[in-house]
Amino acid sequence: MTFQIILLAALVLASAAAILAKDLLKSAVALAVASLFLGIIFFRMGAPYAGVFEISVVAGLITVLFMLTIALTKQGGDVRESKTVKVVFPLFFAVFLLIDFFVMRGILAQVPALEGAAEAGTFGDVLWKERSFDLIGQLAVILAGVFAVLALFRKRNHHDH
Amino acid sequence: MIINEWVVYLLFAAVLFFLGLYCLLTMRNLIKLFIGIEVIGKGVSLVLLSTGWARQSIFLAQSLVVTYIVIEVSLVATALAVIINLYRVNQTLDIRSLTRLKG
Repeated sequence: MTFQIILLAALVLASAAAILAKDLLKSAVALAVASLFLGIIFFRMGAPYAGVFEISVVAGLITVLFMLTIALTKQGGDVRESKTVKVVFPLFFAVFLLIDFFVMRGILAQVPALEGAAEAGTFGDVLWKERSFDLIGQLAVILAGVFAVLALFRKRNHHDH
Repeated sequence: MIINEWVVYLLFAAVLFFLGLYCLLTMRNLIKLFIGIEVIGKGVSLVLLSTGWARQSIFLAQSLVVTYIVIEVSLVATALAVIINLYRVNQTLDIRSLTRLKG
């Protein structure tokens, strides 16, 4: 559990770096590092498929997409952020951590036990037999995404203005 | 014992959620805002998987997380395409330049 807490802390640190970094490229890389830590946490929880997806797709593909966007929007990319954002952040963060700690301890007192029998079968059984409808949804979402990107990047005709 | 560890996961996931929400409320760069949404998504998938782990139904949680990741990729592709198009129209990534949509 100690190692897991270290990984969780690293995940939070990388996410904070992604949000607070001034350079957008650095934030994209920090987000990829955060995904890497999350993937390792998933592995250690006994969820190798989720870990593989998290590391390959989120840390790989999404980072590439982010970098592509940052490269394409380079000239106007410097948006001046309000200076108070970083100054006020530690204050809000400390207050939130206090609230978070007490709320989660309250949850600990309220939840008697998370019931549930151990699952039978393998990950493939659960994904293909119990959640097969999800797969149709996933296909539909991917198709919708492809069409959305195609629609957003289509060439303008000469006829319509 | 396992509930104690589950609460630790929830605590860290709430911190991730806070970070993303803070980013969404305070930042002005469109890409930064989207990174905030990504961080919130990480927190949500951590909650999903840790709850499944604590309930000993890790396979179900895992399939939900995989579904979420696939949807996330589609979402990111579409949103970044929208951001690039907004940049082409406005020549800036500042969220405050989008006030032309006001009624």
